Amino acid sequence: MQEDSYSTTLCQLENEELENTAMSAENYQQMLAIYLYLNNLANAKMLWMRIPDNLKDQNKELDQINLLNIALQHSNYSDFFKHMKYEWSEHNKAIINDLLVSKREELFNLTASAYVSIYEQNLIEMAQMTPEELKSACFDWTREQDGDKYILIPKIRESAPRVASDDQLLKLTEFVSFLEN
Amino acid sequence: MGSALENYVNQVRTLSAAGSYRELADELPESLSLLVRNWSILDNVLETLDMQQHTLGVLYVLLGKLHSVASSNPEPTQIIQLMRDFVQRSNAEQLRFAVCPFYETCHLFTDFLVQKNLSILGIKVLSRAIEQIRQLDTQLTPIHADLCQLSLKAKHFNVVLPFLDTDITDISTVAAECKNQQQQQPQHTLDANNDAKYFLLYYYYGGMIYTAVKNYERALYFFEVCITTPAMAMSHIMLEAYKKFLMVSLIVEGKIAYIPKNAQVIGRFMKPLANHYHDLVNVYDNSSSEELRILILKYSEAFTRDNNMGLAKQVATSLYKRNIQRLTKTFLTLSLSDVASRVQLPSAAEAERYILNMIKSGEIFASINQKDGMVLFKDDPEQYNLPDMFLNVQTNITQVLDLVKQINKMEEEIILNPMYVKKALGSQDDDLASQHPKTYSGDPTD
Repeated sequence: MQEDSYSTTLCQLENEELENTAMSAENYQQMLAIYLYLNNLANAKMLWMRIPDNLKDQNKELDQINLLNIALQHSNYSDFFKHMKYEWSEHNKAIINDLLVSKREELFNLTASAYVSIYEQNLIEMAQMTPEELKSACFDWTREQDGDKYILIPKIRESAPRVASDDQLLKLTEFVSFLEN
Repeated sequence: MGSALENYVNQVRTLSAAGSYRELADELPESLSLLVRNWSILDNVLETLDMQQHTLGVLYVLLGKLHSVASSNPEPTQIIQLMRDFVQRSNAEQLRFAVCPFYETCHLFTDFLVQKNLSILGIKVLSRAIEQIRQLDTQLTPIHADLCQLSLKAKHFNVVLPFLDTDITDISTVAAECKNQQQQQPQHTLDANNDAKYFLLYYYYGGMIYTAVKNYERALYFFEVCITTPAMAMSHIMLEAYKKFLMVSLIVEGKIAYIPKNAQVIGRFMKPLANHYHDLVNVYDNSSSEELRILILKYSEAFTRDNNMGLAKQVATSLYKRNIQRLTKTFLTLSLSDVASRVQLPSAAEAERYILNMIKSGEIFASINQKDGMVLFKDDPEQYNLPDMFLNVQTNITQVLDLVKQINKMEEEIILNPMYVKKALGSQDDDLASQHPKTYSGDPTD
């Protein structure tokens, strides 16, 4: 599992931070990015507050990740995707990419559940995609013309029903047998 | 090495070898001033002692070192490394004979780190120290407050949160520990006076940590414990906790959360000293975001001085959200610009942003229609028929059952306590003597 491997890395980095005053900027970048990916915004905020000032000033990439952090703190998708467009260095590329994918998915799921209709231009603005990219991302949504603008009517993607696990079934059986007696 | 220190080492070695830890623990406090005086050669003493075998001796050397940091000005990393080794390798059994000095060592260590701005390096040390000294997983020790302080200073909460999440059932205090060991050394009386301080600090800091990670319900509980601690006089820790309590209860409940009646200190001492905060509560009650904004601006100096400005801003945001939530109860559909004007947001776009965020976090159920600029408020779609909900209910039931078990256990302990029985019977005698018509069953809940 990708998520697990990030959690393990995070655990290592956290331990290192507790034993060692001088962590490298790369380590901080990685930690911050993983917090964002795991949607642990409170920790991301705290981490930024405890990163030494000299690293913040010198390291452009760290600053860039923090811009993502700030955008997410304010739930500002348009800023978030804007700041995503950056030449990420090799060791951060993977995690940033995963972050991008997961946030895109989150945005489309949210739009589908929160909007009856949304102007195409607004969604493009929020997701910072080209019209073509957007079209392929939400190909099954209905697209209507409204004056000179296009409006999208999202289609809610049915989430696969969760199957009850054996453990839960066991508890249910217990409960039923308790009621019978 | 001075001969007095040689004596110290010999005493530690002989008594430790003989296993007379009790005797050693009783005699060592007298050597503390000697150790502090000879701070410059304490490293030599340490070399002759083994942390595992001579835990008590090493503990007092550490204490002496920490007492003399002002004059010796040691390298911080050296002290940290020493403490780290000590909590890793010391013998817990021996440590039990010197609980109070151990607490004191941890307090001094905390002060030292805070002063040197190296708080983050002490978090692991203290968490290990707590694990070593506490007798139960649910026991509160004075070190907990230190750990919270370091975590707040370092802004690092991953280690401390599991400690805070545990519900406390037992408290280890210096007074109680001294009584257990029948030690009446005068230097511990000062510490015993601090028991209340560390207890209050734990709940105050704990509340602040939960506020920082936005677990407001739990933060409210921590502040509540802090302000409702039975007291005759008010502590400033309680006052600060009360201020934060008011703000957090606005965020959680929109009004002042219920405070148990027994806390008279609040009405008498705290209310008059927290005027600004009561004004805030009153204005919040009017549901006018504009008025609230003006009030926060007016009192911004006081809030900033109390370090509560961030919290005040959270209160302001929560009022917008609460007002939007209120709209969902009255209207089925509403235009975005109407929402904006009703909750006093500057524009329809801003209102849309708030609503979108609230939908995302599950605070309201609604859908936005951009075509005609309307919001459609919906009911909670939860049907209570999914496995997730079942799991949720199941865990809650288990929690409640565990709690009931715990309460029963504690009640049983009290009923079987000779002191309690004596008192209960005593009052029965009084009742009989005064010809009280009611028969006393001995159950305090009657």
